[in-house]
Parts: sequence; C-alpha cells; structure tokens
Amino acid sequence: MSTVTFRNVSKRYGAITALDDLDLEIGDGEFVSLLGPSGSGKSTTLNLLAGLISANSGTIHIGEREITHLPPEQRDLAMVFQNYALYPHMTVAENIAFPLEARKPRPDKDVISRSVERVAETLSIGNLLARYPKEISGGQQQRVALGRAMVRDPRVFLLDEPLSNLDARLRVRMRRDLKELHRQLGSTIVYVTHDQSEAMTLSDRVAVFAQGRLQQVAPPREIYDNPVNTFVANFVGDRETNFLDGVLEGDDYLTFHSGPVALKLGKRQLKNARQKVTLGVRPEAVAIASSATDGMRAEVILTELAGAELFVYLRLASGDEIGMRCDPREVSVATGETVNVRFDPRQIHLFDQESGQTLA
Amino acid sequence: MNDNPYLRHAFRRAALRTVVNAGIVFFALAPIAWGVLSSLKPTNQILEVPPRFIPQDVTLEHYERVIGDKGLLFLGNSALISAITIVCALAIGSIAAYAIARYEFPGRKVLMVFTIGVMSIPIASLLIPTFTLLSVVGLINTHVGLILLYTAYQLPIVIWMLYGYFLSLPVEVEHAARIDGYTALGTLRRVVLPLSKPALVAAALFVLVFAWNDFVVAVTMTSSESVRTFPVAVYFYLGFYGREWGPLLAAAVISIIPIILIFIVLQRYFISGLTGGGVKG
Repeated sequence: MSTVTFRNVSKRYGAITALDDLDLEIGDGEFVSLLGPSGSGKSTTLNLLAGLISANSGTIHIGEREITHLPPEQRDLAMVFQNYALYPHMTVAENIAFPLEARKPRPDKDVISRSVERVAETLSIGNLLARYPKEISGGQQQRVALGRAMVRDPRVFLLDEPLSNLDARLRVRMRRDLKELHRQLGSTIVYVTHDQSEAMTLSDRVAVFAQGRLQQVAPPREIYDNPVNTFVANFVGDRETNFLDGVLEGDDYLTFHSGPVALKLGKRQLKNARQKVTLGVRPEAVAIASSATDGMRAEVILTELAGAELFVYLRLASGDEIGMRCDPREVSVATGETVNVRFDPRQIHLFDQESGQTLA
Repeated sequence: MNDNPYLRHAFRRAALRTVVNAGIVFFALAPIAWGVLSSLKPTNQILEVPPRFIPQDVTLEHYERVIGDKGLLFLGNSALISAITIVCALAIGSIAAYAIARYEFPGRKVLMVFTIGVMSIPIASLLIPTFTLLSVVGLINTHVGLILLYTAYQLPIVIWMLYGYFLSLPVEVEHAARIDGYTALGTLRRVVLPLSKPALVAAALFVLVFAWNDFVVAVTMTSSESVRTFPVAVYFYLGFYGREWGPLLAAAVISIIPIILIFIVLQRYFISGLTGGGVKG
C-alpha cells in the first residue's frame, strides 16, 4: 500500500513556522494536489515527504513504514523538479538509467537499457536517448525528467510545479498527458502547484494551503462549491470571488443587509448563525436580472471581452465593487449604464466576518 | 594610409597596444629564453663577454650531466609526491568543501573563515614546528612526510576553490540524485564531482605547481638522495666554490617543461559551461 500519512507534522525555521501541525492522508493511487501561494507550506510539505528537509515534530508514513527520519535515498520515491534537474553531464539515456544504477544489487546492463527504452517509448522520446539535456527543448527535458521518475516504478510520485516552466499551450497539453500517465501507472501522485486550474483539472483531491496551514482537503468540485473559508473561496477559481460585508437578519428566512443593499437568501440552515457576516459569490454566479424586483441596482464601471467570456466590473449601491462573468452572446452592457444584477442563491457562501470561516 | 581620423586613431591605439604587450612579453620571457639557450651552450661560452644570445655551438652535455646525476630519480620523486599530493588534497578537499557548502551545522561559518585564515600563515614560520613533529612521528626524510605536509599546506586553498564552485551548482540536481537512490557520498562522486571538473582541474594545478616547485619544505624535511625532489637537486648545482651554470640551467629547463605541458593539455577545462542545459534558468 502506498498511502502517505502526515501526522501532526510541523516545520519551523527559527521564528518562522513554515508548516504548522499538518494532518493529511493521501490514498493509494490517489492524485492529490498541494495548492497554495508561495510561502503557504505546500513545497515544505513536499520536501518533508521527499526527505530533503526534516520535520521538527510529527510523523510521516508511506504505507505502514515510518519514513520521518529516513534519508531521501531510502524512501523509494520519485520526484520531478520545477527546473527538471537533469544531470547535465549525462545523456538522456544515462539520465533515465541513473536511478536504476543506484539499486543494490545493480541490475544487468541489458535489463537497464530495456527499461530505459520502454519508458522512452511511452513518453515518445526514444529518438533523443543519445542527446545531452542542453541539446533538447524545454518540453523534451520535461519528458526526460518524467521518464527518470517513471523508470523506477516508484510507490509515490512527487511533482514540484513540473509545468510552470513550459509555455501556456504546452502546459495545457502536458496536463492532459499527466492525467493519462496517472491513469496508466496508477501510482500515488503528490503534485505541488500554485496554479489553481492545474490543481482543479488534474486532481482527485486538492489540499489548499495558506500561511503554513492546511485549509481544506476535498475533491475539486467540493472545494469550488463549498469553500471552508474566504481564503479558499478566493484562491480557487479563475477570477477573484466577490466579498460583501454585512449583517444577517431573520430567523428561518434570512436577509443579507449591506448599506442600501438587501438580499433575500431564502430558507437556510446555518451551523452557527452570526449577525455580522461576509457574503461571497463567484463572478460566474452573478447575472443580469430580468426584472428590478429580484435584482440590485449596479453601475457598469468597466468591461473586458476575452473571446468566449465577458467580464464586467460593477459598483453596487453600497459602494462595493463586484465582478460578473457572463457570455458575451447573451449580455451586452456599456460603461456607465445602470443594470439590475442578481446572485445565484445556490452559489452564495456565508462566512464569519472575523474568522473568515464558513457558516454553512 | 586612410585619412579617416577615427581609423587613424584606432590604428594608433592598436600599434601602441602591440608595443606595450611586446614589452611585457619580452620582460617575462627573456630570462627564460636566455636560460633555455644558455643551457645549450658549452660551459666556456655561457658567461662569455660580450654575451651571445644565440649559442654558437649547441651541446646537450649539461642535460646529460643532470640525467647522469640521478636526475631521473629526483624527477620521479617529484612526480610521485606531486601526484599523490594532488589525489589526497582533492579527495579530502572535495569532501570537506561539499560538507561546508551543503550542510547546515554549528560553526560552519567559523570553520570557513578559519580555513581561509590559515592560508595567510607563511610556510617558513611552520618549518621548525613541523620538522619537530615529523621527527617525533618518524616521518622525517620520507615521501609520506612530504606528501602529508604538502597536502596540509594546500588543503585550505583547495577547499576554498571547490567550496565556491559547489555553491554555484544547482542544488536541485543533487536533490534529484539523493531521491534517485544515491547517498551523499554517491551524489558527490557521481554528480557533483563530474560537474566540477573545471574547478577540480584548477585546484589540481594549484597543488601541482606548489608540490612540484617546493624547495624550502623539501630541503628542510629530507636529507637522503632516495627522497630528494628535483628542486632540491637543482640547488646542489649551486656549489660551495661556484655556480655550475650549465647543469643548473639545464635542470631548471627540465623542471618547467612538464608543468608547461600539463597546463597546455588541461587548459580546455578552464572553459566552464558544463552545467548548461540540465537546469532551466
């Protein structure tokens, strides 16, 4: 079994806590992304798992085996680095063969070369085997780095922002290839990224980190639909989430008040109803209302047309600015115009105004 | 000549540069050229007045004399001691430099400052204490004694040179090797050292020049012919009653030839750039 388990793992650098009391379990064969901005603890988590840094407290297990204090070479992991970290003095074939040569006893030469050829074939880099890393393109180097990881049939794959050095088109294509690779190999993959769209499209589950703490672990849909706090709500999604501060009124049928804006939320069960709340709504849940009765008045400040989508910046009567994402074939508005907007009630998230935690 | 003032100016500058460079080359090489040419003159023509730069009669008698005076034994001693010193200094130095460059441990900075600091101690001031030390441990007048001393003298500079180079290598490549299943020493041997060839060659040449040329340590620590190094042998042509210029110059020429050859062979390693391509910048 290649489950990965972090229990109460902390890492401090002097006064700075890079990772605070992490509890995380990654299932056998699961593809889990560690998502967060820089300094959030996601790379620290990966490096702790790889053994490149050591934890101040807590334990890390792979399957039943505790690896907290093992050196990297004894952990049987494979890792793909952001800058690929190919060995510049070795050919592509030698790079891919390198992990096999470390095995004790060392496999036969022809066993090694067969494995190298098989992996090269899978990644369609068979024609590059005699070249040196500096003689091939970035995308090809990326494949070699993947090949070097695959050749070992590792129990766990670690990928550290492997796509961030590729250009945008190639990145989307490699994303698909990675997913296909995971389907073929079936190994556990831990994937570090700061790109929420990569995390959302690739993973079985996403673990969102901020300021050294794990915020939420859940499947992409769940993270998107039910973020546990304002940070997750804002970080996941292509565009920033709109946040409005206000107060809740009513017992069963709730109304949200923010200055002159009043928003009927309907019947809602809240775990802990608070007076002061932050309302979060994604730009894609904002729409032009057909009538003035169920909408709020808003002034169009700016519009951005980006091919398939139209992004509209609006100012509400309360003075808050919000974004709206819509289909340019259905909506056409001009700057300065006043429109009625409504929020999709199913996609409204309520958070505690002080802690930012969800009230749902 | 062209009338363009800019071209005229450029021509004048090029001419001036050539003259200055020629002067520098003359001052640096003239004594060596004189030595080489004089070593080929018969004894009675070496100091003749007026001096003749180009020898009138060419003879190899001085070279024959040097070789006949067990010159090959002394050359062999020098070569053996230099070679083993290089191996020891690089082996110990690379491990030490790697540890200082890549491991966090208390006193790391102090250790590096100390290593650089001891380079400023003049060797002459260490002669008497090390002589006493070597006699006590019974290594006076031995190859091993000289090798140990040379290694010790050259370690700081080797550590310092390799330390700087190791720091410039991308650490991810070493991390990759560790994760690929290599121990720290395995990573050093299979990845770090092959990538550090330019620095290793430079450090080796430093050690070679010192060990090959050293006179003062060798003459102090050795006495018997079987251990004598070539620079000490050269000294023996400075007799009590006079200088034997012919064999002296021939010995000097013999001693610089290997160094020049090695520099020529290895100079391509000075051109770095081996690390290009493995890591996207």
